[in-house]
Amino acid sequence: MQVELNVNGEQASLMLDARQTLLDALRVQLGLTGTKLGCNQGVCGACTVLIDGKPARSCLVLAAGCGGRKIVTIEGIADGAKSSAVQQAFIETGAVQCGYCTPGMILTAEALLRKRKRPGLDEIREAMSGNLCRCSGYAKIIDAVKLASERVPA
Amino acid sequence: MTPLAYHEPESLDRALRLLADIEGARCIAGGQTLVAMLNAGLVEPPALVSLARIAELATIARGPGGALRIGATVTHEAVTESDDVARNFPLIAQAARAIAHPAIRSFGTIGGAVAHGDPNADYPAALVASDAVIEIASGGRRRSVPAGEFFRDYLTTALEPGEIVVAVVIPAPPVGARGLYLKFARVDGDYATLSVAALLARKDGACTHLAVALGSAGSVPVRDRNAEKKRIGKKLDDAAIAELGAALAARCDPVDDVRGSSAYRRGLVPGLVAKTLKILSA
Repeated sequence: MQVELNVNGEQASLMLDARQTLLDALRVQLGLTGTKLGCNQGVCGACTVLIDGKPARSCLVLAAGCGGRKIVTIEGIADGAKSSAVQQAFIETGAVQCGYCTPGMILTAEALLRKRKRPGLDEIREAMSGNLCRCSGYAKIIDAVKLASERVPA
Repeated sequence: MTPLAYHEPESLDRALRLLADIEGARCIAGGQTLVAMLNAGLVEPPALVSLARIAELATIARGPGGALRIGATVTHEAVTESDDVARNFPLIAQAARAIAHPAIRSFGTIGGAVAHGDPNADYPAALVASDAVIEIASGGRRRSVPAGEFFRDYLTTALEPGEIVVAVVIPAPPVGARGLYLKFARVDGDYATLSVAALLARKDGACTHLAVALGSAGSVPVRDRNAEKKRIGKKLDDAAIAELGAALAARCDPVDDVRGSSAYRRGLVPGLVAKTLKILSA
């Protein structure tokens, strides 16, 4: 079936199998491999993207249902060559080890900070709790989100 | 693999007609369970009928007698963000808030959670304790089933082929009632090892309304209406709370799994019930 997707502000017309998840369409049809395949069951958070501004497990959303929705992936959050506040904070705090969970972490943090300007530490921990880091680098990830939150204009 | 047909009707009537006409067709709302099952190869329907673009299923409204009617495709996030639900139906708001993580709550729906019939999920116990009613529709008829009768067995509900959940109706809690959903889980966002959903109203220290349902305690939410009735008109002291906890523990039949053995879960019942009721009567 034919589906019109809006990804990172660009319109794309894709031929898809209705069984295909958004994750699969992003990686295979659009070559946007920054969004990672982890568990494919919605547990790990590695595939998190934004759909109409809300955090979403792209492995649990069928691409066929995304017509007319605005999708943002890790490839779409920097402002040209300038990293987003969250990306910059991840770099500065060293919140990246193997990097596999990082895109999902960044999109989840992005969604949190769009909704809550100055989240408390508990709120940050709770919001990030659905994203697993198998290097167990959580402390610096939480530091990064805290740092980014302090830089978001109030 | 044969291609999967995908339909996105904009009216409920059209959706029901598609479900009636295509044998084996499944409806899909937020997809937070069904897509995981598709990915794992556990289901292979010939067609999916999406409910996502049917406006009438996506509303929260008050109905007769102040009952709260939550449309089937209302997301957990929308329930947690409703001021009316937070203020007047705290048990429902807390159960919605306890489900998984933000990314799941922004897509998962109450209709999907109910129709899936997982006794380890957060809504079923809260709905049974709230005496909610499930509104069901098919091509030919509409009917309503009390939540206490809707959940039949593990992943098995009163839904018949061609039927879908269109709304969940929660009666206004009795005057002065307080509600609490207490979830005991290994980590944030996990399924409960055991959960307690309770509504309590008292007048001059005596119970005027008491409802307690357990989640993750058997193949369906567990409730003991006779034990609850015995408390009406009486005080809810420590002995009474212990008696109710013991009655519920005797009635539950939890599974052994990675979240806890059956005996461990049963062992949690009296303590978690007592904790819930003590918070509510404090």
